[in-house]
Amino acid sequence: MNSIEIRELTKAYGAHRAVDGLTFDVLPGRVTGFLGPNGAGKSTTMRLLLGLDRPTSGTATIGGRRYVDLPDPLHRVGALLDAQSAHGGRTARDHLRILSAAGRIPPGRVDEVLEQAGIASAAGRRIKSFSLGMRQRLGIAAALLGDPGVLLLDEPTNGLDPEGIIWIRELMRGLAAEGRTVLVSSHLMSETAALADHLIVLGNGKLLADTSMEEFIDARSTPGVRLRTSDPRRLRAALARDGFDLTDAGEGRWTVEGIQAEQLGTLAAREGIPVLELADERASLEQAYLDLTADHTQFTATR
Amino acid sequence: MRAALPTAPTLHSEWIKIRSLRGTLGGLIAVFLVTAGIQALTAAAIGRSEEGSMGDDPLFAAYYGLSFGQIAAMVFGAGAVSCEFHNGALRTSLAAVPNRTRFYLSKIATVGVLALLVGQVTGLATFVAGQEFMGRYALELGDPGTYRAVVGSGLYLTLMALFAAGLTAWLRSGTVVLSLLIPFVVMVSFVVGEAAGGAAQFLPDRAGQLVLHARMPGDLGPWTGLGVMALWAGAAVLGGWLAVRRRDA
Repeated sequence: MNSIEIRELTKAYGAHRAVDGLTFDVLPGRVTGFLGPNGAGKSTTMRLLLGLDRPTSGTATIGGRRYVDLPDPLHRVGALLDAQSAHGGRTARDHLRILSAAGRIPPGRVDEVLEQAGIASAAGRRIKSFSLGMRQRLGIAAALLGDPGVLLLDEPTNGLDPEGIIWIRELMRGLAAEGRTVLVSSHLMSETAALADHLIVLGNGKLLADTSMEEFIDARSTPGVRLRTSDPRRLRAALARDGFDLTDAGEGRWTVEGIQAEQLGTLAAREGIPVLELADERASLEQAYLDLTADHTQFTATR
Repeated sequence: MRAALPTAPTLHSEWIKIRSLRGTLGGLIAVFLVTAGIQALTAAAIGRSEEGSMGDDPLFAAYYGLSFGQIAAMVFGAGAVSCEFHNGALRTSLAAVPNRTRFYLSKIATVGVLALLVGQVTGLATFVAGQEFMGRYALELGDPGTYRAVVGSGLYLTLMALFAAGLTAWLRSGTVVLSLLIPFVVMVSFVVGEAAGGAAQFLPDRAGQLVLHARMPGDLGPWTGLGVMALWAGAAVLGGWLAVRRRDA
């Protein structure tokens, strides 16, 4: 009922396809990160989902219904598209009152979400006097207004200070834990890595990946371990018997590719080799992402 | 079609939009202040000097201030729509009211009702305040055509606001609409209109102002003139509706 269904979605501007035959689902109960370089089609997909732009073909629905057909859209979907989606001449409270009136939301919610977003003290100020971070918080307050089951947030951490970034991370995790559907686009890898359970990756309007965060990283990195030992000579010999190679990483550290910490630990214990430090080494989301998009660029270049 | 009509919540939302911006609320108040104020000041200054000092047609002269007040009506109508084109305000509005016809009709209805209320009060106040200073040349309510002019001036201001609102939705810019309309009613229509009759009498402002005349300068009657103006406003509102429905936000 709160899932998002994108089916064969295409949006063409003349010959350019901003979104090209996208098909994916966004499921409730987890934070889904929406990744892709600038111009990949993330914002366009969100606008199509909200019925702000018309698709050239295909459908984008929420619980099986188009956004324009939802009887109480603000109760179902909360969206932060960009921080500039408010008239600068209005006060923050008036901006939210307009939405609450149109969406049949009790007026008391306005002050609740202003409080929740941490801008209650600026409620009576005109939006044009707001910093980017405060506008972002106002946009998030507007998205939360109808207590919706689906949240679409386009670059929500833009302009937020570190405290704000932690706040929104906790907020989104909490919303997903309550069983809501949370779709968050971002170009900040470290942010998305700290936030998302699932990933949708776009490139040139096409779907590049739709997978869990873990699978995404594991599929794009060779497993390996990082360790310190007091007897690298014996360890090298022991590893060589099993076909592994010990590489010097400098400063007394060593790496072994293609093995996991569990396996190496057992091997070292069997041989009685002291291991002082041992950890699995995984690629970061950033490495995995760059690896994927590099593949994609090659693919498009050689086609 | 029923599904696209304005609802109490969408009308309420549109009313908050208008009253929460200085420009639109100010434009609405200015319709009253400018029309009645200029009328009273002008009448006080020259109204008693000689017969016909405010113009040959005493009824039309009773609405001298309307030439200025109509600009405020345009500013109000254009401003009420153009505020949606500031930043991405339209996207937020359409996220709240995704049915575009309902969104647009709610806005047009709110602009129309507010302009009509303020227009009617203005029409009466302008007549009363202006004639107060006319001494023995004053008209009285009940004289031929006076009730028609009082009601008609309010309708004129309403149609002018709707005309500007529709054009703004169509052209997506209040600045463009006002920089077209204001010179038009201030100069073009004045100059062209002096050659009464012909095609000029069908211009929206010339046709609409016939409802304020005691003697008809051309072929159109007072109410048919206002009807011609209503067609202009209706066409602008229709054009705006097509644009709002069709375009990506």
